[in-house]
Amino acid sequence: MGLFVFVCAAAMVLVGAVGVVTRNNPVHAALSLVLTLFGIAVLFVANNAHFLAAVQVIVYAGAIVVLFLFVIMLLGVDQAEDLSLEPLTVQRPLALVVSIGVTGVIIAAVLKSQDALFARGTGIDSATLQDADANIRQLSRSIFTDYVFAFEVTSVLLLIAVVGTVVMSRRQHGQHVEESV
Amino acid sequence: MFAALFSVFVTAADWVSPSIDYHALAPEIILAGGVVVVLLLDLFTSENNKWMLGPVTSFTLLGSFIPILTLALSDSGTRSLFDGRYVVDNFSLTMKGLFVLAGYLVVLLSSDYLREGDFYEGEYWILMLSSLLGMVMMASSRDLVSIFVSLEFLSIPAYMMAAWRKRDLRSNEAGVKYFLLGVFASALMLYGMSLLYGISNSTLLTDIGKYVSGEMSAVRAVAILFVVVGFAFKISAVPFHTWAPDTYEGAPTPVTAFLSVASKAAGFVALLTVVYVGFPNASEVWQPVFWIFAALTMTVGNVMALRQTNIVRMLAYSSISQGGFILMPLAIAGEGDSAGAALRAVVTYLLVYAATNLGVFAVVIAVSHKTRSGAISSYGGLFSYAPGLAIVMTIFMASLAGIPPLGGWIGKFGSFQALVSAGTTWGYALAVIGAVNTVIAFGYYGNVMREMWMRPVPDGDTTHVVVPSAITVALGLTTFATLLMGILPGLVLHFGDLANLAGAFGG
Amino acid sequence: MSEFLRSYLVVVWFGLAAFLVGSLLLGISALLRPNNPTSEKLLSYESGVDPVGDGWSQSQIRYYVFALLFVIFDVEAVFIFPWATQLERYGGFGLVEMAVFVAVLVLGLVYAWRKGVLRWV
Repeated sequence: MGLFVFVCAAAMVLVGAVGVVTRNNPVHAALSLVLTLFGIAVLFVANNAHFLAAVQVIVYAGAIVVLFLFVIMLLGVDQAEDLSLEPLTVQRPLALVVSIGVTGVIIAAVLKSQDALFARGTGIDSATLQDADANIRQLSRSIFTDYVFAFEVTSVLLLIAVVGTVVMSRRQHGQHVEESV
Repeated sequence: MFAALFSVFVTAADWVSPSIDYHALAPEIILAGGVVVVLLLDLFTSENNKWMLGPVTSFTLLGSFIPILTLALSDSGTRSLFDGRYVVDNFSLTMKGLFVLAGYLVVLLSSDYLREGDFYEGEYWILMLSSLLGMVMMASSRDLVSIFVSLEFLSIPAYMMAAWRKRDLRSNEAGVKYFLLGVFASALMLYGMSLLYGISNSTLLTDIGKYVSGEMSAVRAVAILFVVVGFAFKISAVPFHTWAPDTYEGAPTPVTAFLSVASKAAGFVALLTVVYVGFPNASEVWQPVFWIFAALTMTVGNVMALRQTNIVRMLAYSSISQGGFILMPLAIAGEGDSAGAALRAVVTYLLVYAATNLGVFAVVIAVSHKTRSGAISSYGGLFSYAPGLAIVMTIFMASLAGIPPLGGWIGKFGSFQALVSAGTTWGYALAVIGAVNTVIAFGYYGNVMREMWMRPVPDGDTTHVVVPSAITVALGLTTFATLLMGILPGLVLHFGDLANLAGAFGG
Repeated sequence: MSEFLRSYLVVVWFGLAAFLVGSLLLGISALLRPNNPTSEKLLSYESGVDPVGDGWSQSQIRYYVFALLFVIFDVEAVFIFPWATQLERYGGFGLVEMAVFVAVLVLGLVYAWRKGVLRWV
């Protein structure tokens, strides 16, 4: 049964990923991405990480893809790009070769050292398996002990994202909108 | 109700709040506070008072330099926070000092540039401070999560700063290219990090160091390769350098100075910590990679630099090839006991390179203010109408080329010494390639000098170059540092004497 | 199949039920309604007004700023949620840390507000 779930989820991930690359309409590509992200959420569930699965659906499949769609619509889907015009004609076949090569190397590496990986993997501990809340507790423990500084600094990073978006999207300097009351 | 509120403050027994050494975190906290203060000042001051943002930024930087000094002078030695995830030692303090001072110099270079062009000013300072905060964090990060957060922290503001001239197509191109390739590199590195975590079950670099050893399984090699390649983008090592010339040319010149010095140094710092703490026992994987990177980066950077006619583009390729020289010692860092020598060579070179390259960009900004041109030929006859700038530029060019007794010579000397003292065939071979490249580099550095001293002024306009006072200060500081490090190399070599990061080797 | 996964089976049943109900309703109405299309009837419905331009047209950049602000506060929620489940355990320390985190993010909102990007005109 675990294998069945894995195969279904992995198929979703792969079909979605191929769709993102091959779709000509960027909106369809973004929607294919939802399929990929949802498949990953299912994989998280299969590994008992259901808080991560929820985050995956809410933040990635929800918010991030909506953001992508806004950006795509901002650029205008009606202004189709002329894909036949390519300055470097070698790059597509080259990209294909490189990506197949990298994928092959990764697969070969994982296969070759699977014994070492299995020996290292401790699997999901029994506490997590019995207690559905253990996952989120472990996460909050990590946030408030080992990664507390990284966590705090992330807030400044998000602040920078707001500042950057506002700067990049405003029309030009000198056109300040009047101070609001 | 109040009882319920106060019960919140009663800590449960099985969890101990992490003890935080605020002295060790003071530089970061001051920088983060500076970001907030500049943001608030930008929001709640009138247009007439916006001039104060630049000074506030520089005071923040100087303020964060104070705890770096007090930490360096305190006797407590290495401070380790959060279970060794964040370490303040001599190495990290040296690099933090470098980042903060380089940031201060970039503030000096930027202030007039921002005033004259029609730019957003407050946001520029906010982004620069936060990028520096990321770099300062990077110097202390010793686990994968902190390294990744600080890498994003230092890169994301830099992407936006590269596109700061919003109505200039070149600047847009610079930002987009830098962003796309940078994000791609982050993704590669993140994949490598996830493999590392899968192998070692820990994000702590010291734990990873234990597991990335012994029999080298294939997946470890792939993981290391991905992480190293991710940082190779950051330091623009060939063949991952393609973004650098376009980005450097299109970005505003002070931002280019920032990218080519601080951002590149941060990439090297990350590479050093990952390699020295995380993979000390896997040198058979990364040594050949660094060898190839170093050889290619020096050669390609030099050959391309010879053909450039635009000064900033030439400097972009020059900085690529300098990156190759900095990488050289890493190609032998795993041989015997040469880890310490290699670390010292890299750190020394980074310090020297930072001072010299910032100086070069200060001259470029000052000269382009008058000539309004980026062509190398526009430097013709600079000596006749701006002798000070010409002399200073000559010093910097000579330092970059590695002519004694200037700072650049010390950097190159240390690199070659580390290579030769390792005593391996590969080390000697790389030293030979480096020597050939040093000679090639004289070609384009010499070309600029020849323009300044021997050629006529291209348009006959010999009015005096007005150098803003901030840039004069920056020029003074960088010249002083370049000369001082060349004449008294003991000063800078002392900084490179960092046994504790190299301690993981040979153990 | 573990107990854990079995509880997720409910999600599958709900999904199937939703799909069945939807297709049933649409199928029945397709069988019952008369089919007599005219060009007015085939026009896409846009709040009762005649649609202007193409459906794929370019949208305002303001939407993007709103979407990004939404993402940022969404991410904030991801951090707050684990803390909320363990409020008592992390006590004062957790409260202070989270207060700093939220305060910095609110600063982002204040920034967007002062720069006037939240206003729609």
